[in-house]
Amino acid sequence: MTSALGVEDTSAASSPNPRALVILTSISKAFGPTIAVRDASFDVLAGEVHALMGENGSGKSTLVKILSGVHAPDSGTVTIAGTTHRSFRTPREALGNGIATVFQEVLAAPNRSVLDNLWLGSDGVFRTRHSSGERRRRAAEVLSELLEAPPALDTLVGDLELSDRQACAIARAMLREPDLLVLDEATSALDYDTRTRLFVMLRRRATTGAGVILITHRMDEVREIADRVTVLRSGETVDTLAGDDWTTAQLVRLMTGQSNLVPEEPQRAAATRTPGQIVLEGSGLRISQESRPIDFDLRAGEIVGLAGLEGQGQDAFLRALWGLGGSTGTVTRVSGDRRDRITTKYAARRAGIAYVPRERRAESLFEWMSILENFTAPTLRSDVRRGALSAKAALIRLAEYIDPLRIKLGRPGDGITTLSGGNQQKVIIARWLAAQPDVLLLNDPTRGIDIGAKRDLYRLLADLAGRGLAVVMLSTEVEEHLELMDRVLVFRDDSVAEEFPHEGLTREALVGSFFGPEAVEA
Amino acid sequence: MSAAVTSARGRTRDSFVRRTLRRHTFLFALLLTALLLVLNLSIQPSFGWTTQLASFAPLAVAAIASTPSIISGRGGIDMSISPVMTLSGIVFAGYLAPSGLGGVEGLLIVMAIGAAIGVVNGLIIIGLRLSPIVVTLGMYFIITGVNLKLAPTPFRLDDANWLTAFATNIGPLPGPVLSLALPIVLWSLLSLTAYKRNLYAVGGNDATAFTAGVNVPVVRVVAFAIGGAFAGIAGLVLLGLVRTADSSTSASYTLVAIAAVALGGTSLAGGRGGITGAILGAASIFLVQSVLADARVPQTWLAAIYGAMLIAAVVIGALVSGERNRSRS
Repeated sequence: MTSALGVEDTSAASSPNPRALVILTSISKAFGPTIAVRDASFDVLAGEVHALMGENGSGKSTLVKILSGVHAPDSGTVTIAGTTHRSFRTPREALGNGIATVFQEVLAAPNRSVLDNLWLGSDGVFRTRHSSGERRRRAAEVLSELLEAPPALDTLVGDLELSDRQACAIARAMLREPDLLVLDEATSALDYDTRTRLFVMLRRRATTGAGVILITHRMDEVREIADRVTVLRSGETVDTLAGDDWTTAQLVRLMTGQSNLVPEEPQRAAATRTPGQIVLEGSGLRISQESRPIDFDLRAGEIVGLAGLEGQGQDAFLRALWGLGGSTGTVTRVSGDRRDRITTKYAARRAGIAYVPRERRAESLFEWMSILENFTAPTLRSDVRRGALSAKAALIRLAEYIDPLRIKLGRPGDGITTLSGGNQQKVIIARWLAAQPDVLLLNDPTRGIDIGAKRDLYRLLADLAGRGLAVVMLSTEVEEHLELMDRVLVFRDDSVAEEFPHEGLTREALVGSFFGPEAVEA
Repeated sequence: MSAAVTSARGRTRDSFVRRTLRRHTFLFALLLTALLLVLNLSIQPSFGWTTQLASFAPLAVAAIASTPSIISGRGGIDMSISPVMTLSGIVFAGYLAPSGLGGVEGLLIVMAIGAAIGVVNGLIIIGLRLSPIVVTLGMYFIITGVNLKLAPTPFRLDDANWLTAFATNIGPLPGPVLSLALPIVLWSLLSLTAYKRNLYAVGGNDATAFTAGVNVPVVRVVAFAIGGAFAGIAGLVLLGLVRTADSSTSASYTLVAIAAVALGGTSLAGGRGGITGAILGAASIFLVQSVLADARVPQTWLAAIYGAMLIAAVVIGALVSGERNRSRS
C-alpha cells in the first residue's frame, strides 16, 4: 500500500509493512454478550494521517479505548515502534508508549486553569517533569498555534466555551509529542478556523514521522487530510482505501455493507395502516440555541423513527416530546377538542404520554426488586382494592402482557435480574403499556437485546400501532428504520435534516443522509 | 441564573462575581469570620488573643486534616480524623513522653501513625471501590476502641513538656500561631511538587485525570495519608492545650471538622477549595460559639445555630457560584 507522503522508514521487522508505525492485529473486545470489536486489524504508517470511519456502534471508539489503555482487548495485539503489546493496562502506560488520545467526550478538569489542564498527567505523583517557565512557554506556543485568540493560561477551563475546551484537550495531547496521536471525533466542537489550524498542525506532526488516527463523520475532513481510510463495520475492519482513491458513495457502501441489503421480510405492510388524527404537536422546538426549530405532528397509529449519528439531537428531541427537558418551544397534546400544553414529565404522564428511557439499568430497572414490582411501579394505584394494594390484582394485570410480549419468566416474584436483557426490556415496555398511553416514546429500546426479543417487540409495536397507538422510536439500528417505521426523521446538528417516508427508503439513502447532503448518492 | 450573561456567540458565560467565587471559594467564610470577629470584639473588648487562638487551633488543624481527602473527590470524607487525633495524644502522653520520646521525634512518630492509618483507609477505599464515608466510619470505631484500650483512664502530659508552650506565648508570638503554621507550611511545601495539581485534577474530574495519565489511585491514597499525618499534628495541638489525653474525647471533632471544611467553601464533591477555607470555616464556627456564649445564649441552642449557619453557607455558596446549574453543561 502506498502513502501520499515519503518519510523515513521506521523499523518493525516482523510486520508485513516495514514502514508501519503502529500495527493492530486481530483485536477483539466484547462487553458481556455484546461484541464491540471483532478481529479488527489495520496499520498506521509513520508520517500518515489515517482516518477511521464507520456507523454508530461499529467499534471505533472501543478500538480507540483499547489503543489508549482504557480497555484491555480480549484478544489481539498492538505493535508500536517494533514492540508488541497484549494490552496497555492504563492510559499512563499507553502514553508512556507514545500514544496520546483526545476522546470523544470533551474531557477537562473544569476547576483547574488552562495551564494545569494542558499539562495534566505529564508529571509523576510528586515529581514535576517540566519547569514552570517551560510549562507556560510551551503551553502558550501550542495554544497560539491552535487558536486565533487563545485564552489566558490562568483562566479556568470551566469558564471557556466548548470549542476552546476541546482545543485544550487537543493541545494536551499535542504537548506530549506522541508518536501516535488519536483524535476520536475531536473536531466536532471546533470552529472552522481552529479546525483548519489543527489540520496544519497534524500535517506538520506527520512530516516529523509521527502517525495520526482521525475519527470523524465528516467526509470533507477525510477528503481534506486523510492519507488512507479504514472502514469499520460491526466491529470488523472491512477495507482500507488509499489516498484519494475513493468516492463518498463507495465509503457509505462499505460502512453499511452489501450483505445487509438482502431485503428482510417486512414485519407488516406499512401501507395497510392509515394514520389517524393528530395526537401530539410540537412546534418551534429548539434543541440547542443554534439549531433550527422543529415542527412535528404525530398521528394516531403511526410509528415515527428518529435516526442519525449518535448525539445529533434525536435524544433531546425525544425528551422534548416528554415535557421539553432542556429544549424550548411548545408541545401540545391533542385529544379530540382538548389541547393540553405539555411542559413537564408529569403533565406528559397525565396526558397519556409514556417514555421508555435508553439506559435500562440506570433509568428503568429497580434491580433489587421482583419482576412484578418492576412492572407495577408507576401504576400501583390500579391495584388498590378496599384501600390496600392487592397482589392478586397486580398479577392479573401482568398476566395480560406476558403472552403478547412473549415474556419468558419463571415466577412474577423472581428478581428482575433473573431475566435476560430482552425480557427485562419487555417487562419495562409492559410497565408503560399498563399505563395505557396514547403516545409511546421509545429511546433505543432494542439496544443490547437479542434478535428474537427484537422481533417480538417489532410485532408488538406494529400491532399496537394498528390499534391506534402513536409511537416515536429513536433507534441506532438502520434495519429498524427500514422495516418498522412509517416515516423516519434524520437528525444532524440538533436539527431535522431529512424526512423519509417508508416507501422507497433505502439503506444507502438513509445512512448517507446521516453524513450530510454530499454523501447521498445522486 | 440572572447573573449569567449571554455572550456574542450565544452561549452563556458567568458573571465576574460567580467566576471569582468559584475560584476563591473561601470568600464567604472570610466575610463571615470578619463579621463575627467584629461582633466578638464589640461584645467582649477584652478578647484574649492567645487564649482564644489556643482553643481555636485544634479545630482548625482538624479541619485542615479533613481537607485533602475531600478535595480528592468521590465523597472522600474522612470520619476517622477525630479518633486519630485522640490516639496521637494518648500515644504521645501515655507512651512516648514517659519513654523519653516526648520531643520532636514524638511528633514525627504520631504523624507517621496517622499517615499509616490514612494509607489503610485509602487502600481499602480505592482497592475495593468502597464508599469513603463507610470505610472511615469503620476506622473511626476501630480507633475509638483502640483508644479505650490504650487509655482506660486519661493520661496527663507533664506540664514541662514543650507542647504546652504552644498554648501560651512563645517569646513575642502567640504559640497557637506556630502550631497552625506547621500544617500550613507543610501543605504549602507540597505546592513545590506536582502533587497538588494532580490532587485537584483528580478531585475535579477523575476520568479526565485518568485518561491524561495521572496515577489516580496513588493520588487518592496519598490524600488520606496526608490527612492522617495532619490529624497527628492536630492531636498534639489539642494535647498541648488541655494537657490530658482522654479516650472519651475520640468523637469530639469528627463532625465539626467536616462542617468547617464545608463552611469554608470546599466542595464535598471534590476538586475545589483548600485549607484557607478550612481555617476560615473553623474560625466561623469557633467565633459563633464564642459570640453566643458571651451573649448568654443557652448552650442548648448552640448546635441548632451551627446547623443553620452551615446550611445557609452551603445554600448561598451554591446559589452564588451557580453550582446547581452546571450539571447541564
